Amino acid sequence: MSQEIGREIKVRIKRFSREKGSWWQEYPVKVDKYTQMTEVLKRIKEEQDPTLAYRASCHMSVCGSCGMKINGAPKLACRTIALDEVSRTGSNTIEVEPMDGYEVLKDLVVDLDDFYERMYKVTPRLKPSQEVLEGKAQHRLTPEDQSRLWKFAQCIWCGLCVSACPAVKTDEQFLGPAAHAKGYRFLSDPRDTISNERAKVLIDSAWRCTYCYMCYEVCPRDIEPVEAIKLTRTFTDKFGPTGEASKLGERHSKAVEESIAESGMLQGGKVYLKTYGLVNSLISMMELMKDGKATKLIMEKQKKVKGLDELKKLLGERQ
Amino acid sequence: MKLAYYPGCTAHGSAVEIDVATRKVAEVLGVELQEVEDWNCCGGGFLDERDPAGHVAINLRNLSKVEKMGVKKMVTPCSVCLHSHRMAAHKYKENALLREEVDRRIQGTEVKYSGEADAEHIVWTLLRDVGPERIKSAVKRPLMGLKVATYYGCQMLRPSEVMGFEDPHRPKSLADLVSLTGATPVSFPAMTSCCGFPLMGSNEKGGLRLAYNIMKGAKDVNADLLVHPCSLCHLQLDVTQVRVRDMFGLNWTMPAVYATQLLAIAFGFSPEEVQLGKNAIEVLRQKGII
Repeated sequence: MSQEIGREIKVRIKRFSREKGSWWQEYPVKVDKYTQMTEVLKRIKEEQDPTLAYRASCHMSVCGSCGMKINGAPKLACRTIALDEVSRTGSNTIEVEPMDGYEVLKDLVVDLDDFYERMYKVTPRLKPSQEVLEGKAQHRLTPEDQSRLWKFAQCIWCGLCVSACPAVKTDEQFLGPAAHAKGYRFLSDPRDTISNERAKVLIDSAWRCTYCYMCYEVCPRDIEPVEAIKLTRTFTDKFGPTGEASKLGERHSKAVEESIAESGMLQGGKVYLKTYGLVNSLISMMELMKDGKATKLIMEKQKKVKGLDELKKLLGERQ
Repeated sequence: MKLAYYPGCTAHGSAVEIDVATRKVAEVLGVELQEVEDWNCCGGGFLDERDPAGHVAINLRNLSKVEKMGVKKMVTPCSVCLHSHRMAAHKYKENALLREEVDRRIQGTEVKYSGEADAEHIVWTLLRDVGPERIKSAVKRPLMGLKVATYYGCQMLRPSEVMGFEDPHRPKSLADLVSLTGATPVSFPAMTSCCGFPLMGSNEKGGLRLAYNIMKGAKDVNADLLVHPCSLCHLQLDVTQVRVRDMFGLNWTMPAVYATQLLAIAFGFSPEEVQLGKNAIEVLRQKGII
């Protein structure tokens, strides 16, 4: 790959300042196959334009400072190799923008206060028992529990998942992916003592996630926050629903499970009826009639799986 | 070409037009779709959290039937079914603890999964295995002058380490398909956002707001209609669209058409033959296509 040393690419950066507003600016930069995007930005700032503002510190995916959009994808600049981007898009020009969803302060620097507030809402620290604090007892964590929680403890607070999350943008009551990953990590930690308080904050919000897997896709630490949200929902039974979304959601999710166990199929109409009740279901049907769409839902007749006994065994029912 | 076919519950029930159109398109293209015998639901995107091992086990039941058919690909028109089967196969291979529990459950049943069969999206199969040339030559009614917003949604793209067909931030499969019909594909910023369907069981208003984002996104780029790849997007953006219009007081429609419905129209089928919605028919009439 020696021919790649000193290859010139173009970097198009979305600039912003309060005085001038927003504009695009292009810089030529020489890179090789090891050049990270943080290095690209450093070279631009040091060699061409000291007015460019961006955040970066550790250059090794630990500090969580350099979240931004690179060719439309929310990424850590330090984990992104410039020439990989060139081959991903087939273009010699790399576009760099600030993360979506936060107020831009200058160029690539965004205001992360909203993100931090979300994290503080879930009390992102362990609350051990009094005995442990007084040195009269020890914290115990089994290797199984540790390996279960490990993934969700790896968050570096970079804000990428929240910037990419569609539910955060349309629902103020949804805490967002990072806070849920952190929240679940403590909610299900056997050493923690405030699970009732945690449940009140986390459970209803968990039912406001739309399972789009954007957070799973963009997380640079492979935390899979959506999995933490799914696991948090399973605590609804234990602590009880804490709002309308968890009340309906738990009912809906149970109805899905029952439908599959009864027939091997997801009977959409039946599930809707069980979730919303007869009156609300009828109102929805009437509305759909305007587009001529209700008939198929009412007439829905699905097959029943023949191998139901086998299916029940697979679903864990004792023979 | 013989492929195992998994329509999924929705295309088998309330969005049967997806199954109808997919079968017609496959027939024209010489693809033999052999329905997986006695298949079961994939879990609908919810079972995996309530019963992780059960979710994997029932998806492996379908994939094991596919292996018995002597094929490796199970095509489905539904992104959620695709996601569910691929995630199940992925977790079975990656997560040793989960695999132990799944193996306990499948013991003594007919389920035998070697790890070879996996789910594929019908759009992937059409583009990669059938190929653009064959699709193009089947077009009898070019959809000239029609601007089609390409809406990919979520589960066909993400997580890309498991789905893997295309760049999840710059997908182009639907644009490629639309181009073959003679229509003009248009991309828009919300094309990889969620339609909101998975919220309809817990937060309907939130779900409808997300659906509005998609419709509005397509409207803002002056699309005549939008094309999508998923049975559940179909329920949300086509069947339920009137509820979005009522909630936001809209006086316009953005018909949502399933990928193979659009192909079928270009192949010369009538809108009635593929059960196209009345709003979509209206658009095709205005454009002089039908």
